[in-house]
Amino acid sequence: MANGTWKIARRGNAQLPLVIVLVLAVVLVLVGKAQSGLFDHARARITDAMAPLLEDVRAPLDGVQRWMSSIGNIFSVYSENLRLKEENARLRQWRNTSVVLEGRLQHYEALLHAVPDQKLHAALARVVGRTSHPFLRTMILDAGSDDGAKAGQAVMDEKGMVGRLFLTGKHTSWVILLTDINSRVPVTVAPGSVQAILAGDNSAAPKLDLLLSTAKVKPGDQVVSSGDGGLLPPALPIGTVVQDGNGLRVALLADATQSESVEILNFARAPETPPATSQLPAEAAGLKPLAPPPPAAPTPSATPATPPPAPLPKLKMPVIPSTTTASGGSAPE
Amino acid sequence: MGTTERLYAPAFLRVLAALVPLLCGLLGVFIANIPISLAGGLVPAPLLGLIPLYFWCLVRPDLMTPAAAFAIGLLQDVMSGAPPGVWTLGFVVAYAVVARQRDSFAGLSGFAAVLGFAAAALAASITATLAVLLLYSVTPSLGALGAELAMTVTAYIPGALLVSLLHHRLVGPLRSDF
Repeated sequence: MANGTWKIARRGNAQLPLVIVLVLAVVLVLVGKAQSGLFDHARARITDAMAPLLEDVRAPLDGVQRWMSSIGNIFSVYSENLRLKEENARLRQWRNTSVVLEGRLQHYEALLHAVPDQKLHAALARVVGRTSHPFLRTMILDAGSDDGAKAGQAVMDEKGMVGRLFLTGKHTSWVILLTDINSRVPVTVAPGSVQAILAGDNSAAPKLDLLLSTAKVKPGDQVVSSGDGGLLPPALPIGTVVQDGNGLRVALLADATQSESVEILNFARAPETPPATSQLPAEAAGLKPLAPPPPAAPTPSATPATPPPAPLPKLKMPVIPSTTTASGGSAPE
Repeated sequence: MGTTERLYAPAFLRVLAALVPLLCGLLGVFIANIPISLAGGLVPAPLLGLIPLYFWCLVRPDLMTPAAAFAIGLLQDVMSGAPPGVWTLGFVVAYAVVARQRDSFAGLSGFAAVLGFAAAALAASITATLAVLLLYSVTPSLGALGAELAMTVTAYIPGALLVSLLHHRLVGPLRSDF
């Protein structure tokens, strides 16, 4: 290399500035720890300014990547077609099952006057950039605060959850991926509703940290967002549990390296308000409201002011299979 | 621009030439952090800002000052999305390592020069990792750090040729060296 051929201009005699700059750098790290959003504004401004350039540069690259990937597909068209036909037939069966179950669920919800799930609004955004650093794995979207995007909102592709927004500019947003080392998402493992934390570690399959070490989870179980904390909507599909040595990981449904268009889910939990009296379960089940306590009766033979409550109607409750309890045993049936 | 012409160049051009190391460092950071990945984000981007920093810290430390290293690291922090200050500290520590051992590093050539740069890049990476580990209690993936280091060292070979060319054409040695 050229190092050996160059004459050293002069020996650095600026030791004092170096010490000062080192101290400044340490101070910057400490200030950055106290104010983690120190550079967020600058980052958002830079990304906003770069967005048109990114879109222009990405267009030919995407074309080349699609062309390259399509070369390999040519040789597997026949087998892929067979696989898709089989999968389509299975999905049709599942669709019928799902329609039946959805009808039953609506019936139960109507009986119980269940609070309906909150409607989610989604904004479609295109991926205009991806970066991979040891301290951050992110993708950049072409939707920002002008499009209603806010930090914390979930980002989904057509298969499942990709991550959540952590920084929004006017026209662009940064997504912290589920695989990122800083990502922690509360999840539920079904069946059994086991609560866990999905922790990214820069690998393709994030770790699954169970909140109760005695809870039983097996490979193949489905992982969805739990909605704990009210930051993310519940029941967003995330992935499947896989075994990794002694630990558990989650094979994600979404592929963040291939996603081109994603949905930003606008979710904000409404403040909790007490339900109206008419919405209480007793009245919803057809019972009369409780009367205020009657005054002390002068004679024991007095007729009660209100008729006795009607007997509870017999509802056919669904049979709930025994589930694993926190202590590892089975719940009593 | 030849050496004789450079001696008598207008002051404006000389100031501009003096800014070339800093501008190259900032440009390297900018290019490395353009969020477009040919490998679909599987391979981390190299620390391109380190190449001009290392090169000119050896051959023209009067132009690549500690403040310039600070500025290059600061831009790396802003553009990479890393926790604030970790790359600034990493770059300044790498600068300090190279500045203290300038004689040893400057005497290297060929493959040894690449190893010298790898040592400086390692110093920057270890410093940034320790800062994240101590302050944020997050253990970065060693695989990702190793991949970034490998990419950075690989990029040094063409990068050093390029900055060497720029040095010959635009910057040149100190007047006292003529």
